[in-house]
Amino acid sequence: MTVLTHAFTPGPIVASGPVKLTLMAPVARFSLRLRAASIPAVSKALGVDLPTTVGERAASGTTEAICLGPDEWMIIAKPDDTDTLVSACADIYASATHSLTEVSAREITVRIEGDRAAELLTIGCPRDIDSIPVGGGCRTVIDGVTVVLWRDAEQSFRMDIWRSFAMHIIDLLCTGCKEFAAE
Amino acid sequence: MSSFRVSGRGRVDHTQPIQFTFDGKKIKGFKGDTVASALLANGIHLMGRSFKYHRPRGAVTAGSEEPNALVGTRRGPGRFEPNTRATVQEIWDGLQVNSQNRYPSLSFDVGAINDKAYMLFSAGFYYKTFMWPKSFWDKVYEPFIRAAAGLGVSPTEPDPDHYASRYLHTDVLIIGAGPAGLAAALTAARAGSRVTLVDENPEAGGSLLSEPSVMIEDIPAWDWVAKTVAELKELGVKLMTRTTAIGYYHQNFVGLCEKLTDHLASPDGETPRERMWRVRAKQVVLAQGALEKPLVFDGNDRPGVMLAGSAQTYLNRYGVRVGDKAVIVTSHDSAWYAAFDLADAGTAIAAIVDTRAEPNADLVAEATKRGIRIMAGHTVTGTEGRLRVKSVRVNPVTGSSVGAPEIIGCDCLLMSGGWTPSLHLFSHTKGTLKWDEERQTFLPDHKAEECEIAGAGRGLWGIEAVLNDGAKMGAAAVKSLGKTAKAASYAVAHDRPGTGVSHKELPTDLDAGKARAFVDYQNDVTAKDLRLAVREGMRSIEHVKRYTTNGMATDQGKMSNINGLNIASDALGVPQPKVGLTTFRPPYTPTTFGAFCGYHKGSHFEVTRKTPIDSWAEENGAAYEPVSLWRRAWYFPKEGEDMHAAVDRECRATRASVGIFDASTLGKIEVVGPDAVEFMNRMYTNPWTKLAPGRARYGLLLGDDGFIRDDGVIGRLADDRFHVTTTTGGAARVLNMMEDYLQTEWPDLDVWLTSTTEQWATIALNGPNARKVLEPFVEGLDMSDEAFPHMSVAECRVGGFPARLFRISFTGEVGFEVNVPAHAGRALWEMLFEAGKKYDICPYGTETMHVLRAEKGYIIVGQDTDGTVTPHDAGLSWAIGKMKPDFVGKRGLARPDLVAEGRKQLIGLLTEDGKTKLEEGAQIVLDPNQPKPMKMVGHVTSSYHSDAAGRPIAMALLEDGFNRMGETIYIPMPDRVIKATVTGTVFYDPEGARLKL
Amino acid sequence: MLLIHCPYCNQTLPEAEFTYAGEAHIARPADPSSVSDEEWRDFLFIRTNVKGPHYERWRHFYGCGRYFNAVRDTVSDRFLITYKTDDPRPELSKLLEKSK
Ligand SMILES: [Zn+2]
Repeated sequence: MTVLTHAFTPGPIVASGPVKLTLMAPVARFSLRLRAASIPAVSKALGVDLPTTVGERAASGTTEAICLGPDEWMIIAKPDDTDTLVSACADIYASATHSLTEVSAREITVRIEGDRAAELLTIGCPRDIDSIPVGGGCRTVIDGVTVVLWRDAEQSFRMDIWRSFAMHIIDLLCTGCKEFAAE
Repeated sequence: MSSFRVSGRGRVDHTQPIQFTFDGKKIKGFKGDTVASALLANGIHLMGRSFKYHRPRGAVTAGSEEPNALVGTRRGPGRFEPNTRATVQEIWDGLQVNSQNRYPSLSFDVGAINDKAYMLFSAGFYYKTFMWPKSFWDKVYEPFIRAAAGLGVSPTEPDPDHYASRYLHTDVLIIGAGPAGLAAALTAARAGSRVTLVDENPEAGGSLLSEPSVMIEDIPAWDWVAKTVAELKELGVKLMTRTTAIGYYHQNFVGLCEKLTDHLASPDGETPRERMWRVRAKQVVLAQGALEKPLVFDGNDRPGVMLAGSAQTYLNRYGVRVGDKAVIVTSHDSAWYAAFDLADAGTAIAAIVDTRAEPNADLVAEATKRGIRIMAGHTVTGTEGRLRVKSVRVNPVTGSSVGAPEIIGCDCLLMSGGWTPSLHLFSHTKGTLKWDEERQTFLPDHKAEECEIAGAGRGLWGIEAVLNDGAKMGAAAVKSLGKTAKAASYAVAHDRPGTGVSHKELPTDLDAGKARAFVDYQNDVTAKDLRLAVREGMRSIEHVKRYTTNGMATDQGKMSNINGLNIASDALGVPQPKVGLTTFRPPYTPTTFGAFCGYHKGSHFEVTRKTPIDSWAEENGAAYEPVSLWRRAWYFPKEGEDMHAAVDRECRATRASVGIFDASTLGKIEVVGPDAVEFMNRMYTNPWTKLAPGRARYGLLLGDDGFIRDDGVIGRLADDRFHVTTTTGGAARVLNMMEDYLQTEWPDLDVWLTSTTEQWATIALNGPNARKVLEPFVEGLDMSDEAFPHMSVAECRVGGFPARLFRISFTGEVGFEVNVPAHAGRALWEMLFEAGKKYDICPYGTETMHVLRAEKGYIIVGQDTDGTVTPHDAGLSWAIGKMKPDFVGKRGLARPDLVAEGRKQLIGLLTEDGKTKLEEGAQIVLDPNQPKPMKMVGHVTSSYHSDAAGRPIAMALLEDGFNRMGETIYIPMPDRVIKATVTGTVFYDPEGARLKL
Repeated sequence: MLLIHCPYCNQTLPEAEFTYAGEAHIARPADPSSVSDEEWRDFLFIRTNVKGPHYERWRHFYGCGRYFNAVRDTVSDRFLITYKTDDPRPELSKLLEKSK
C-alpha cells in the first residue's frame, strides 16, 4: 500500500489484492449547466451528444459527458483540449446560454478495480451498486461525502472526489481493501 | 471430563479440548461450547448474581434471551466486555470470564443483604424511597443509586478493536436459519432470487440442532441441515451466521450485527471485531421461532432451575446433561420430550409435574415406559437450596384448592410455561398483534412492511408444520417479487408436535405475598411486584412496566412479557388483549457502540478537510484549529513561543512589512449566466448592477427574516460571471440557500451556480510590502494603484499559473488574494514565501487573521453575529442597496421587532485598566450592584490582545449600544467585576490610510 | 432509513442522498414590500405541522441537486407521492384513494 499525500501524485495506492486502487492522472473537468433548448448547440460545440437522462454518459474521442442532473453535466477532456472547448462554448454563448465552469482542480479521481470492486463500494455507499449499469454513473454519497461514480466495467469504477474529502474516502477504501485481503 | 459430559454427543468437537478461566479458575470445554455449556459440563450452575437482590443465579436458557448468566469477558488490554451472555459466548483457549454483581466472591456476596431486605425494594421503590427529604438527594440517594445502578462494570480503557460496516441490497432477507428459515431460503433461492439468510448462532439449523432424532424426508435432521446449507450455497445464497438482526426499520431496512472475532482465540489484526450491515430487502421473511416461557413460582430463580427446552439443547447440541436428577414442571408437551432425552442419556427423572390434569396419553405412555413418575394436575410451590436447587415442593391442585405438599429431591428443575412467538422485529415495524385465545399468546396480525412470518413465529408447533410453513412463506415472498416458486412439501418422521396451556403465577398453599416468584429475572421483578403496581393504581400495561421495571432490562422482557401480562391481566380483571402489550424496540439484543460507530473512530472519526497548503503549514510547525470540517493553521509558534507571543509577532510582522495567509477554505461560488447580475441583486443586500467587471465589492447575505447569514467579497469577472466568496463555515449552506431560491422562487432566471471552493487555492498577502512580493510573479496585469485599485479583481497569471487576483483587505493593510488552481497552491506559496524572505515575510494563521480584522472592526459572521443580528445592528447599513425593489431580507428588515428601539448593537469595548482581556461570551450588565438575577444587556463577541493598539480590545453586542458611546458598562466574572468603556469598533487606522499603496 | 423517489432522477434511492427542506407550497410573496407584517410573519414562521399527510420539500442533495415536493404521512413515514417543484399540488383525497 502506497502512502498517499495531499500532493495527489498519480499512481497506484493499493496495487494488489482483490481490489486495486489507483490515483488517476489529472484531466480537464467542466461543470456544464444549461436549459434543454441549448442542448443541441452545446452538444455540437463540445462534439459530444449530451445525454438527457440522469446517470447516462456519452463520449467522443477523449471527451466524455455524464448527466448529473436535469440541467447539469460533468465534462471530462484531455487537459490540452481545455482552450478549444472553452472557446467553442464561448462562441455559441449568445445564442445558447449556459454556464461552463472549469473545476479541473476541484476533484481527484481514483480508479477502483478488481474482482470485488463493486463490493468495496458497499462499505460506505448506500446506493445499490448493482443499479448502476456498465457505461453509466451517478453522483451519490459515500461515507457522508459527495462523489461521482463512473462504472466503466462490471468491476471497474472511477470515483471523483473533492480534494479535501479525498483522503478521508481513500482511507476508507484502503481499510476496505485490507479487510477484504484478510478474509 | 466430568460426568455431565455425554461422550460423543452433541455438535461440540470432543477431539478439541479448550481451556478458559471462570473467576480465575481453569475450566475445560470443547470447541463448539459456549461458556454456559462448558460450565454446566463441569457441574457449575452458579454463574452470577442478580441485579437488585444479588440472588445467586445460573443459566436459565441456552440462547440470546438469557437474563441471568451475564458475565464479563476479557481478551487482553482494553478488550473487556461486561454483560456478555454466557449462553452465547463461544469459548476459546485463554478466554477470561468473570462473574458480575458480586463482592467479594460469587458464592459469598455482601450485597445479598438486599435480598433479605427485599420488602424495601418492592415495585416503585425508587419513586417512594427517594422522595423525601429533598436535602437527602445529593448526599444520600443519588450516590446510593449510582452505586447500585447498572449491571457489571463498564470498561475503562479505549477499545483497541476496529469495526466495520456494509450496505447490502437483497431480494429476500430471511431472519432465522431454523427449519422455517431454511425451507423459506431454499424455496426463494430455487426460484432465482437474491437471498440472504442470517442467524445469530454460529451455525444454521435452529431448533433442529436440538432435535437430532427427527427425520426429514427420511434423512436425520442434522444431515438434512448440512445438505440444505450446501444447496443454499450452491444457489448463491448469502448465509451469515453469528449475525443478529437487531432492528427492522421502514421500507424493509434491517440492521444486522455480525460478530467476526469474539469466538476466535487469536484473530488476525485486520479482521474487524464486528460488522454492521444495513440491509435493504425487497421482501423479508421473519423465521425467528419462539421463546420458551418460565413458570412463575416461589424460588423459580435458583441455580439449577432452567427451561426444559434449554436443557434439551444442552444435551443434544452440546452433549451436556444439566444434572443427575431432574424434576420437570410444565404446562406444555414439549418439556416431556426433554425429559425423555435426558432420561435416555442417564439423568434420573424424579418426576414430571404437569399442571394439566390430563396430559397427552401418548406422552404419558412414553414416560411410563421409562419408569418416570407422572404428577398430573400438580403445581410447584417452592424450591430449596442455597447456591443450587436441591429440592422441589410439589402440591396437587383440585379446582382452586392446593393440596398437601411433597418435597422431591433433585439437582435441577426443568420448567416450561409454553412458548412465545418471537415477534420483536415484527413489532419494530409497527406490525400489529392479535391475541390468540387458543394458544394464549399474541400472533402477528396486520403487517406494516413487505414481510412474511413463518413457522413458530405464527404459533405453529412441530418440525413438519414449521418446515412446510417456511416453504410456503418463501414462495409467498418470491411471488411478491413477480416470480413463481413451488413450495416443497416435507414429510417428517419422529416429529414432536404438542400443545400447552398458559398460566399466571402458579397457585400455592403458602402466603403468596412472601413468594419470590420471579417474572423478570434480570430486573428482579416478582409476581407480587406486578400485583402491587396494580393495587397502587397502575392501569395501563405501560405504567405497570415502568413502575415495576418489568421487561425493561437488557433482555427487553423476552421471557417475562407474557407472564407479566397474564398476571397484570388477572390483577386488573381485564382479559389480556384489552391490557395489551408493551412495545419492543431495537436493538433485539444488546449491541456494542463499536458496531454502531463502524469505521468512524480514531483518525477516521470524521472528515478532516485539508487545504493544498496544509502540508507546508504542518512542515513548518503550525498549531491547528478546527473550522467546520477543515483543520486550519491557527498560528506558527517559533521555538519557545506561546500562542500569545506568536500571534503578537505575526500581527506585528504583517503590519510592519508583509504576512502570508492560507485563505483556501473560503467558500467560492461561480455565478454564471445572462441573469447573473439580477440574481446577485436579489440575493445580496448590495447593489450589483453598476459594479463594473474587474471590480469587487463586500457582499452581505441575509435571510428573509432580515438577519445576517453570511458575507464575503464578490468579484465581477464579466457581465455575466461573478466570483462569489463565502465564509469558510458557510460555504455549503450559502450554496444550498441560493439553489433553493433559484430553483423554487426564481426558476425563470437564466443563471447557474457552481461550487469552486476546491478548484482554487487562495493565498492572501497583506502588509505594506505585499505588492513588492507579489508583483514580480504577476503576468498580464498592471498592478499600479490606478489600474488595479483597492477592491479590484483580474484574471492573469501568477507564478506561471492561471490566476484570479483580488486586491482586497481583511486586515486594513494593502492586501491581495491570489487564487490559483488547487494543485498549484503549495508551489505558488513556496515561491512567494521564498521571494518574501527579503521583506521578512511572516506566515500567519487564523488567530492573527482574527486579531487583525478585529482591530479594524470587521465582523466574523457567526462570531460577532448569532442569527439575530441585522445589518444595522452590526453597523453595516451602508451595505444595503436602498434603491433596490427587493432582495432576500429586505421585507424582513421592516419587521416591527427589527426596527424597534433598544436592539443589541455591535460596539467596541475597552477595559478601563487597559490590561484585562475580556472573555468571549461574557455577559454585560449596566449596574453591578443590582440584586440577582441581574439584567444582562449583552455579551462580548470578540476579544483579543492587540499589538497595534498596545492593549486588549473587544467587540460586544450591547442593548442600545450605539447610544452608549463613552459609557461604562460592567462584566461580572466569578472572581471580580470588570469595568469597560463603550467605543466604536475600529481600533486601528480609522481613516483607512494604510489601504493605499 | 427511508427510500425516496426522486422525480428528476426517476429513481428510488436511499434517504442518505437527500436532505429535508421544510413544508412545501409556501411561496415567497411576489412583492414582499406590499404584504402586511402579519402576512410576512406567516410566510416566515407559521407552518401547519400536521399529524398525517404532510406536503413537504426534499432536496436530492447528494444526487441531482434538485429540490422537489412530496406528500409524506408523518405518522407512518410513508411517502404518498413525490413530484417536481413546478407540478401542481396533488389533491389529498386522490392520493389517499390511490394508496389504498
Ligand atoms: Zn435526483
